[in-house]
Amino acid sequence: MLFNSLSFFVFLVVVLVLYYTKIFNWTGKKRMLLLASYVFYGFWNPPLVILLWISTMVDWTAGNKLAVEQNLRKRKLWLLLSLVVNLGFLAFFKYRDFLLDNFTAVADTYGYGYQTQPLDILLPMGISFYTFQTMSYTIDMYNQKTERAKTFLDFALYVTFFPQLVAGPIVRAKELISQFYEEKKATAKQFIWGLFLLTLGLFQKVVLADTLLADTSDAVFGATEALNFWDAWAGTLAFSGQIFFDFAGYSTCAIGIAMMLGMILPHNFLYPYGAIGFSDFWKRWHISLSTWLRDYLYIPLGGNRFGVTRMYAALMITMLLGGLWHGAAWTFVVWGALHGIYLVIEKALKHKVPVKITFWNGIFFAFFTFTCINFTWVFFRANEFSTAKNMIESMLFLNPDGLLLLEYFDLLKVFILTALLFFTHWYMRRHTVKMVAENLPVWLFATGWAMMVFLLLIAQGSGEQFIYFQF
Amino acid sequence: MKLKQTLILTVVLSLISITVWELYWRSQGYFPDLDDDKYLWAKTRAKVEKATENDVVLIGSSRVLFDIQVHEWEALTGTKPIQLANAGSTPLPTFHDIVENTNFKGTVIVGVTPPLFFSTTYEQAPPWFRASSRSEFYKNRTYAQRLNFVLSIPIQNSLAFISNDDEAWYDDINLKALLNTIELPHRTTNPKEPPFRRFQDIDLYRNVRMKERMVTDTAFANSIMAVWKSMLTSEPKPPPPDKEGTIEFFLKNLEKFEARGGKVILLRSPSDGFFDELESMITPRAEFWDELVAKANAPAIHYQDYDKLKNFKTIEWSHLSATDADNFTRNLVEVLLEENLITNLKTN
Repeated sequence: MLFNSLSFFVFLVVVLVLYYTKIFNWTGKKRMLLLASYVFYGFWNPPLVILLWISTMVDWTAGNKLAVEQNLRKRKLWLLLSLVVNLGFLAFFKYRDFLLDNFTAVADTYGYGYQTQPLDILLPMGISFYTFQTMSYTIDMYNQKTERAKTFLDFALYVTFFPQLVAGPIVRAKELISQFYEEKKATAKQFIWGLFLLTLGLFQKVVLADTLLADTSDAVFGATEALNFWDAWAGTLAFSGQIFFDFAGYSTCAIGIAMMLGMILPHNFLYPYGAIGFSDFWKRWHISLSTWLRDYLYIPLGGNRFGVTRMYAALMITMLLGGLWHGAAWTFVVWGALHGIYLVIEKALKHKVPVKITFWNGIFFAFFTFTCINFTWVFFRANEFSTAKNMIESMLFLNPDGLLLLEYFDLLKVFILTALLFFTHWYMRRHTVKMVAENLPVWLFATGWAMMVFLLLIAQGSGEQFIYFQF
Repeated sequence: MKLKQTLILTVVLSLISITVWELYWRSQGYFPDLDDDKYLWAKTRAKVEKATENDVVLIGSSRVLFDIQVHEWEALTGTKPIQLANAGSTPLPTFHDIVENTNFKGTVIVGVTPPLFFSTTYEQAPPWFRASSRSEFYKNRTYAQRLNFVLSIPIQNSLAFISNDDEAWYDDINLKALLNTIELPHRTTNPKEPPFRRFQDIDLYRNVRMKERMVTDTAFANSIMAVWKSMLTSEPKPPPPDKEGTIEFFLKNLEKFEARGGKVILLRSPSDGFFDELESMITPRAEFWDELVAKANAPAIHYQDYDKLKNFKTIEWSHLSATDADNFTRNLVEVLLEENLITNLKTN
């Protein structure tokens, strides 16, 4: 089910009514939420709920064993079971064809003429999110950093909790399971704030991402010819805005819906396009994934404990795998590699060129960071390296006679929206939506909220899927 | 933060703004209606799964949509035909879908608009993709999408401002369509296309009727004719027809369909003026229609061959007005009954 759909609206009303009526005790409410979460997922493709069950059963069992097992070798085996099952799902459903294609290409290079038939398997929605979430539980249990879930129901709900099931935030066990232990009920203020966040998230997705930016981005990245400088930049900036509004919109909806149920989910985005530098960017973009990669990949690879060279290697490996997490294609690996290189250069320069950040150089550095990030989005969005190459060349003024693809209105729309996006993120670096809302008079806040509702209703949208569902 | 007051004021302002928006568009002549979209097509396609030998399925392009009135047909025969035609598309992928993915062995009426029917078998070409994407959607639609459609029907039938047709008409009133009407100086070398306004209404049975305005407002009808001319004369021009490929593809499916007891009737609906001239030039009857009929060895109705069908005048070279469509349907059904090509369940 998509948040931006009528069926979800009805689903949410039914869930909220059942949650807040007195027919269930707390355990009954949790059972209802679990069932609702399976319905939420099953409405997309019922048989794939089985994968969720397998993941839940394996990690519940592994977690229980890890809680009592003292033998290190056996503990490792239980952890390994969890990793093999979850990463096995990912390998089979997400990376099988990619791995086979590359194997075939290598075999062909050596003249073996190996033939494979791609399976074109349906990618289960949100598989990268829920497998990472359940793995974090078993890894934390192995490292004795979290308590065993008290009941199977609490654990199953942690794996499946519908607001964040298919596109995060990827929540750690200790952040969410403990919230299920005692009855939760949103206060009136929490409920209304959650409703506001849901509206804000839907506005970002339906109006800003789908209605205003998606077509420009699709047109530019779908072009077969090299484009003019302005068109290439407009397409890249449109995608930059689209992916932010799409993904941050989903996270905002998830946080809002959870809040309406009295649960707190962590922030996933903190105005990333106002970041000064790339480390700062990754503290603001898809925070739940970047912290996951930091805790379960970068630090185990050595982090910064074994010297500079090892640290850079760990950083690059983390970013390359982070890129691959997003999709089974070499373009995503290049995207991750570029981010890795940015981070390595930034860390190398940080000690040698100390800079005191002021307002004016801060906005310059933020703009520079934003510009560099945009070059990475080209690889993220392009389906082929040839498209990415054309785009990068055009963005660097190397195709002066490139095709004029977009009309003035599209250019104006994208550049104005991007300027608003950048300056909003710059301003909001040190603020939260709540801080801003608190300082607004009631009439102004209500007018802004009503405008979002109005634009959402007239945009209508065609129930476009969130971009990150495919990851 | 006074959230309760904020929420109350938000609800009030939202209701006021959306009511004013609705009333404004109604004052501009809009009224609640359905969108011709993939959801409605899929719902109609699902009926084929349970259709019997007495049922009739209509496939083709917009001429079948406009010219055959399903309610009129039902009134005459006792059977409501299943309308699966798609505007601007070839019927070949839809026929292939019915043959390959259903057990249907009733009657399929295949509308032949020559420049579309004989256009291509290339899967990415617009005339093919427009039809095949709907079959694909039907096959892959989720339960959530089915429920979304069911829930959207009362809303589409109640609010005029809900307009989100797959065709993306110039006069749709969703935000994206409204923004597209903003005029700025031209930047690209692409020719400026005339605005393509919606000139028909559709109901839950995919019965399409041409808007009355097309008959009463010559300027409006002329604007649609300008679109046809622009589509068919501006660069890049459509590729030449693939007669051999399309006929071969059709015959393969026809053979399989007839082998299980299904019946196909080919239908050529009226066209005039610019379209008639173009069709005669690009896809002359003797070389295309006649050859198709001979090779298919199936019943075929060409409007020029029947007194009851040949005197209809299209409004914009290609489609009949609502009243004429009623008459055309009546006459067509009479012809089909006279030739024992369909069954009248009312008399049986």
